[in-house]
Amino acid sequence: MKNAGLPLRLEGVSKRYGTYTALTPTDLSVAAGEFLTLLGPSGSGKTTLLNLIAGYLEPTSGRIEIGSRDVTGLPARQRNIGMVFQSYALFPHMTVGQNIGYGLAVRGVPKAESARRVAEVLSLMQLEGYANRPIQKMSGGQQQRVALARALIIEPDVLLMDEPLSALDKQLRRAVQLELRRLHQEHGRTTIYVTHDQEEALVLSDRIAVMDRGRIQQLGSVDEIYDRPANAFVAGFIGESNLLPAKVNDMAGGKATAEVEAFRRTMVVQAAAGVEPGQTARLLLRPEHLLFNKTDDGVPAEIVETVYLGELSQYSLALESGHVLTARQITDRSLRKGMKVTLSWDPIHARVVPEN
Amino acid sequence: MSKLPLWLRIAGNSAASLILGFLVLPILAVVPASFNKASFIYLPPRAYSGVWYERFLEDVEWRTSLLNSLQVATLATVVAVILGTLAAIGLRRLEGRWRAGITALFLAPMIVPVVVTAVALYRSALDVGLSGSILGMSLGHMILALPFVVINVGIALRGVDENWIKAASGLGAGPWTVFRTITLPNITPGIVGGAVFSFITSFDEVVVAVFLAGYSNKTLPVKIWESIRLEFTPVIAVAATMMIVLAIVLFLVAQLVSSRREISTQ
Repeated sequence: MKNAGLPLRLEGVSKRYGTYTALTPTDLSVAAGEFLTLLGPSGSGKTTLLNLIAGYLEPTSGRIEIGSRDVTGLPARQRNIGMVFQSYALFPHMTVGQNIGYGLAVRGVPKAESARRVAEVLSLMQLEGYANRPIQKMSGGQQQRVALARALIIEPDVLLMDEPLSALDKQLRRAVQLELRRLHQEHGRTTIYVTHDQEEALVLSDRIAVMDRGRIQQLGSVDEIYDRPANAFVAGFIGESNLLPAKVNDMAGGKATAEVEAFRRTMVVQAAAGVEPGQTARLLLRPEHLLFNKTDDGVPAEIVETVYLGELSQYSLALESGHVLTARQITDRSLRKGMKVTLSWDPIHARVVPEN
Repeated sequence: MSKLPLWLRIAGNSAASLILGFLVLPILAVVPASFNKASFIYLPPRAYSGVWYERFLEDVEWRTSLLNSLQVATLATVVAVILGTLAAIGLRRLEGRWRAGITALFLAPMIVPVVVTAVALYRSALDVGLSGSILGMSLGHMILALPFVVINVGIALRGVDENWIKAASGLGAGPWTVFRTITLPNITPGIVGGAVFSFITSFDEVVVAVFLAGYSNKTLPVKIWESIRLEFTPVIAVAATMMIVLAIVLFLVAQLVSSRREISTQ
């Protein structure tokens, strides 16, 4: 269980069904031992990409390499991947031990060795003593761990997980997330993880590939994705955002001169790659970066709603232009609905991103 | 049910009992009839004995016809189970439009009048030299039995999750290993059900058998049909009793297999 898996490389891999493009030609490199999350809404192509890597789908074009081996034409059974399914896909007619040992049995591993390795994995998963239980007698969380154990025992070069936590309730999901992170840190194995839950992605991943409409919209570390989103979709999908229409008049040195109609002013702000003069783009302001001033400096606004979230509160702010912004702050009881305030922000946190 | 007035419940239960009796009693009547001592069927028998069972077993023609029936039904069942299972698996892989059309073709033997099938088989069997042979009858019965296997296995296959197959192949199993270790164990109840229906379909089939049976290869139902036109002895009741017992035993086996399956999936 000590090998860290192998690197994975995709070159121009695409998948089309007739005229429908599930995945546009995609390049992707994953380092050995890296935890990469494919994050996106349903229909974004993330599961298609996962199935292409697993070998359950044949790509329309492109090339897939695991380590130095070209696996493009190989069926799933010859790729040495471990897959954890959303529904777990445990074999109902087998015990926990038989499920976990299945990959060893089909490889012809001798019974004694197989039993030893199953016991080892069971203890890694904190499932000691469950080997002879029927699958149906296991709870959802336990089944999830059996599914993971079954994938890990074959020492896969790449571990693939397709929304493995979506069948668990919220509390359990949180616990299993931390468990997955611990496992990955201890036995760090190349992992591709599919989810539509941004929080899960942030907790688990080394890097995140945000996907939409059959395309990787942005690939980067958790910080990069959050702080420097490549476009409005990424900004909107990760975290909460205020995205205001901005007309770009000029670009110079990575900064845009943009007319922001919501504020009725022209501003010079940082711009993401792909922003061009003459374009209508979006100004991104995260709710936690909006500051309240009690002086007249800044953009005038009226508090139209306050939502108390505990130590934080969320405020809806109507601008004079009619746009409504969301701000999130340490709860301040003096801020009430109907109050006039002025807003400001550190220019570092304002950013113009392309529409898509 | 318990909310109904007492008289209505009594009336309902009585009606149900009467209908059940009407359906079952004439069939069960052959059992006491087979234990007559006299050489004519009295109901109830005036005196009981097992003499007609002895007669049945001593008579070469009866014995041969029973063995023929067992042979024909076994062969028909084996072939129907293999072909029907393969057909059901193939049908499941087809796309919707094709699946519906081809399923209808496989089920056609249930709908086409048996006598039509029998005439067609009779003519074809002459051409290929299978007329009057055990093999010919077996294949004829196999055609009648095939829909039962296709239906039963088809239903069982719906319970096989596509992801089990994907998981198994991802873990390194080839297509045959996947079938043997994943698909087959999960469709076994369907296969057993289909096999039982096949066996019974063949074992009590008389129309196709009359057309295809030669002089020396009569099946049990054909022998019963012929005997009853010559003489009306309790040996016919003996033969009928054997058929009933066999049918009951087979259905019990099928029930047992499917109930064990339910327990294991709970």
